[in-house]
Amino acid sequence: MESVTLLELSKLIAGCISGSLPGTYWVQAEISSMNIAGAGGHCYLELVQKDPSGRRFLAKVKANVWASIWARLKVRFEQSTGQYLQVGMKVLLQVEVQYHEVYGLSLVVYDIDPTYTMGDMARRRREILAQLEADGVIGLNRELPMPMVPQRIAIVSSATAAGYGDFCNQLDGNPYGFRFTMQLFPALMQGDGTEASVIQALNAIARQCDRWDVVVIIRGGGSVSELSCFDSYMMAMNIANFPLPVITGIGHERDDTVCDVVAHTKVKTPTAAAELLLAKVLDSAQAMENLARRMAQALDNRMNVEKLRLQSLAQTIPSLFLLLKEKQEKKLDQIWGRMTWAVERMFTEQRHRLDMIGQKVESANPERILARGYSITVKDGHAVTSASALRKGDVITTRLADGTIESIIN
Amino acid sequence: MKYEEAVKRLEEIVSLIEESKLDIDHTTECLKEAQELIKFCRDKLYRTDQEIQSILAPQE
Repeated sequence: MESVTLLELSKLIAGCISGSLPGTYWVQAEISSMNIAGAGGHCYLELVQKDPSGRRFLAKVKANVWASIWARLKVRFEQSTGQYLQVGMKVLLQVEVQYHEVYGLSLVVYDIDPTYTMGDMARRRREILAQLEADGVIGLNRELPMPMVPQRIAIVSSATAAGYGDFCNQLDGNPYGFRFTMQLFPALMQGDGTEASVIQALNAIARQCDRWDVVVIIRGGGSVSELSCFDSYMMAMNIANFPLPVITGIGHERDDTVCDVVAHTKVKTPTAAAELLLAKVLDSAQAMENLARRMAQALDNRMNVEKLRLQSLAQTIPSLFLLLKEKQEKKLDQIWGRMTWAVERMFTEQRHRLDMIGQKVESANPERILARGYSITVKDGHAVTSASALRKGDVITTRLADGTIESIIN
Repeated sequence: MKYEEAVKRLEEIVSLIEESKLDIDHTTECLKEAQELIKFCRDKLYRTDQEIQSILAPQE
């Protein structure tokens, strides 16, 4: 029986492969594992293709990026995508198929096309956004009113994140002396655990949401930051449905993450988030001051108007009273005039009456009749007014103006 | 006594005299009373004027 050694067979396989698969190929794959052998070492990848459900491998091959290529390729990828090359990414690699007698089949990587990975991330992002749109949640958080004075701030960040310290310093040291209440709800801000830990922090805030005005999700931007973890459907759902306005400041210059899209307000850096809140509080304070000033001004105007009114009223009162006084004085004069006149008339009447009585008394005096030649006949002390009252022989006394005579009737 | 009451009394006295209802014996008395009432009224007018001026004078 003819036989070959393992090495001979392996060399046959290697020859077949290099003969029938010459040169390089551009291959689409997903990175399922990744190891870098020390600083400046080689990068060992495991590439897979999954079925549409994403649960089952359809293909799986090892790939090696030798240190000299890796150093160049890594930098170019990170500059183009703004991301570290990492597990779960879809990549387009230029590879050569190689078979090694000891290490078996592997792909040697020569180049990478970052635009493919970016396109894939963008597609995933679009899919998540489309789903959020379909769920009708994209504008939900934005519709919440931002409090006029956002002074109680729940912070989702990592205590070690550079931006967290900047944010706190910016607010604590504000030149206007506004006080902010801040509490950190710690969460991972990069890597696989980000989604779960941010959601956990948000839940913790939601349980006491009457203690807070606003939530900020912040982290400082490095030279290259991992942002893909913020293109998360679950995180975006949590933010969109959050009962308080959420501000994101997760440090990036490129496209917004899905979390930015659903947030109430999105800024680029933690410092910008602090400035935004500070400006809001300052606005309210200034509006209040304006109101106070306007109120004081209005009161002042009102007082002036009233003062003038009173003044003019006060000026009219004396002249009005003067009129009244003059009228009253005239009336008193009239009364006195009428009275003196009436009294005079009364005396005149009385005098006249006395005169009349005097005349009557005068005209009734018998002396005056006697002086005109009349006489009075008296018998027995009584005046005789009838001839029949006298008989023959009666003695009568006749009274004349200057004396009396006695006679006997015959 | 009020100003209005004083004036009313004055009017009464005048009509008494004008309608010759006043007897001579009381004339002096009545005139004296009228004179006093008129003085009272004039004083009241003057005092009120003074008071108004002093009330409305600037407080400074």
